[in-house]
Amino acid sequence: MDVVNALAQGLLLGGLYALFACGLSVVFGVMRIVNLAHGDLAIVAAFCAFVTLSATSLPLWLVAVVTVPVFSVVGYLTQRLLLQRSLQSGPLATLLVTFGLSVVIQNLLLELFSADTRTLDAGSFATSALEVGDVSLSYVGITGLVLAVGSIVAIQLFLSRTSSGRIMRATSDDPQTAALVGADARRVYGIASAIAFATVAMAGIVMAIRSSFDPSLGPAQLLFAFEAVVIGGLGSLWGTLLGGLALGVVQSLVAVADPSSSVLAGHLLFLLVLAFRPQGLVPARAS
Amino acid sequence: MSPTSSSSSSGVDRRRFLQLAGLGAAAVGGGTLLSACGGLKGSSASDADVLKIGLVTPKTGALASFATSDAFVVEQVREAMRGGLKAGGKKRTIEIVVKDTQSSPTRATEVTKQLITRDKVDLVVASGTPDTTNPVADQCEAAGVPNVTTIAPWEAWFHGRGGKSGEGFQYTTMFFFGMQQFADCFFPMWDRIGASSQEVAALWPDDTDANAFRNGLGPLMKDAGYNPVDGGKYQDGTTDFSAQINTFKRSGAELFTTTPIPPDFQTFWKQAQQQDFRPRLATVAKVMLFPAEADALGRLSNNIATDCWWSSSHPYESSIDGTSAKDLAAAFSQSTGKQWTQALGSVYSLFEIAIEAFKQADDPKDKDDVAAKLRSMSYRGMSGPLDFTKGPEPGIAIQHPVGVQWRPGKEFDWEVVVVDNTPNPDVPVGGDLEPTNA
Repeated sequence: MDVVNALAQGLLLGGLYALFACGLSVVFGVMRIVNLAHGDLAIVAAFCAFVTLSATSLPLWLVAVVTVPVFSVVGYLTQRLLLQRSLQSGPLATLLVTFGLSVVIQNLLLELFSADTRTLDAGSFATSALEVGDVSLSYVGITGLVLAVGSIVAIQLFLSRTSSGRIMRATSDDPQTAALVGADARRVYGIASAIAFATVAMAGIVMAIRSSFDPSLGPAQLLFAFEAVVIGGLGSLWGTLLGGLALGVVQSLVAVADPSSSVLAGHLLFLLVLAFRPQGLVPARAS
Repeated sequence: MSPTSSSSSSGVDRRRFLQLAGLGAAAVGGGTLLSACGGLKGSSASDADVLKIGLVTPKTGALASFATSDAFVVEQVREAMRGGLKAGGKKRTIEIVVKDTQSSPTRATEVTKQLITRDKVDLVVASGTPDTTNPVADQCEAAGVPNVTTIAPWEAWFHGRGGKSGEGFQYTTMFFFGMQQFADCFFPMWDRIGASSQEVAALWPDDTDANAFRNGLGPLMKDAGYNPVDGGKYQDGTTDFSAQINTFKRSGAELFTTTPIPPDFQTFWKQAQQQDFRPRLATVAKVMLFPAEADALGRLSNNIATDCWWSSSHPYESSIDGTSAKDLAAAFSQSTGKQWTQALGSVYSLFEIAIEAFKQADDPKDKDDVAAKLRSMSYRGMSGPLDFTKGPEPGIAIQHPVGVQWRPGKEFDWEVVVVDNTPNPDVPVGGDLEPTNA
């Protein structure tokens, strides 16, 4: 029974990890940017929702629905105005820019909102659960998992079925050649960032409802997202989903036997994958 | 897998990703160094008539909630000391130099050194967890500068710094409380709440504070007839508590205690509700000390009990100018627009003690003299009676926290109500003890 419960809770946790990671996966997949500010962006999204919620009388679900598209616009602009410039000076510059962004965001949030811990109050939605036999599946957890799977399916469909998606794949494979046939890499990168920001906003809001957030929490979120991407296999979105779920399940199962090793077990899984299956659980298509 | 499923990023160079990720990790590590460059102004004038107090405080970073009232207290003390004070047969002025630790022990060490060598302070005060108090005290002890700190369990301050029992330190003193006082505060509430079993669910992570509870409060619980159900040494920052919740539910425990970091408590408490672990009484330490945390939890804060060493209803007044605890709290709210916190009274007392020591010393510029006065201090002020000679070890004054519960308030969303004053009958009871979950 314990194991069944742990498995279920692990899947829900893993869903959240995957939701966090898929934006990271997309940005790296398309632009080869490791976005070190990814975790901090999730916190920014949570604060945006928090401020909107306090300032207006809108219900939380509506605030979330509004925040996500707003964030994707912010993502598009961030790419076009900030990241694009650094891309031209090579990968190290981009890395430093995202790192700088991370530092700036953390301190700006601290300055604006102080170090107080906050949550998004979702009322009974945050505290109730779906009872399946003896297992309680929290609605927040289910929402996280559904959003993760939904986002990844949607992004895959976008990439495979739309012309923008095809251009994105082409640009990802070979920016120069794609440009020769008329693909505008900057626009493609902007769209990829918009997608990534939308998913990270969802992740930030779900996390804020599920537990709590403060300005310094970003880097910790980034770590699990990194691990999910690497475990799953670089360049594969399905892999990222699987990687997130694997991470969540391993942490949760180990916690039943020994709570002190739970987080460590996740890191070990990451190391084991790196050592014995460096291409990840779902390797990207060979090029 | 469909051929398109991976196309968003086919041909990714794994080695390059790892290189970037590695650089990133290094960069994240260096972040604290980068952000540590901003210092605070210090004055260099050193005059025999000026007595300088250095305040080391975690103004920014994870511990910042401990420091919300510091700027206000400094202003209050400056105001009260505008006319100077008479010490060592002369009229002296008080100067206060504030340094931010950014919640880092390394930085705390560094700024304390600056205070001692560059600002040439006569006394250093500090507050806010062992991460602040211990490095500050270590520097002061080494440099021979009188020092008083607070808001850290005395065991962590004393044993954590390798204090010799019965001997203590020469220059460093502190006031707060320890495991025995937590027991004195929590057990009477457990006795009264009418739990059907003596099992106490204990969520203690694997960190210094929680291990002190595991090894300190655990045995005290057993002596009092309670049986701790340890949820296991989890790591701080754990995102899922299902395993612990399961253990607690299976034990049938109706009492709950914990010493986690604040974000973890928020996660745990929500998950406990989701998974139907609803203890009859939750008595928590280290978290729910400050209103911001109660606000964040919202209605889930209702009737969570914690320890309270200072509140606006404590019947104490300032030894500097006679301001009552109630007035101090009100002045704080008026000046900052924020709710008072327990740290307000403690930080205020740090300055009371400093001023008291200066007054008592024959020569307030003589560091040995001032330090000796600190060690033998016994006075009554904003934190009530504090006697540094009667503590469990030399140079420690013990406070007696009372039991409080968070409830919806009149002036602010969530306020603490004193529900059990067994450890300190001076503090008036403000309401009945109520179950956290009925």
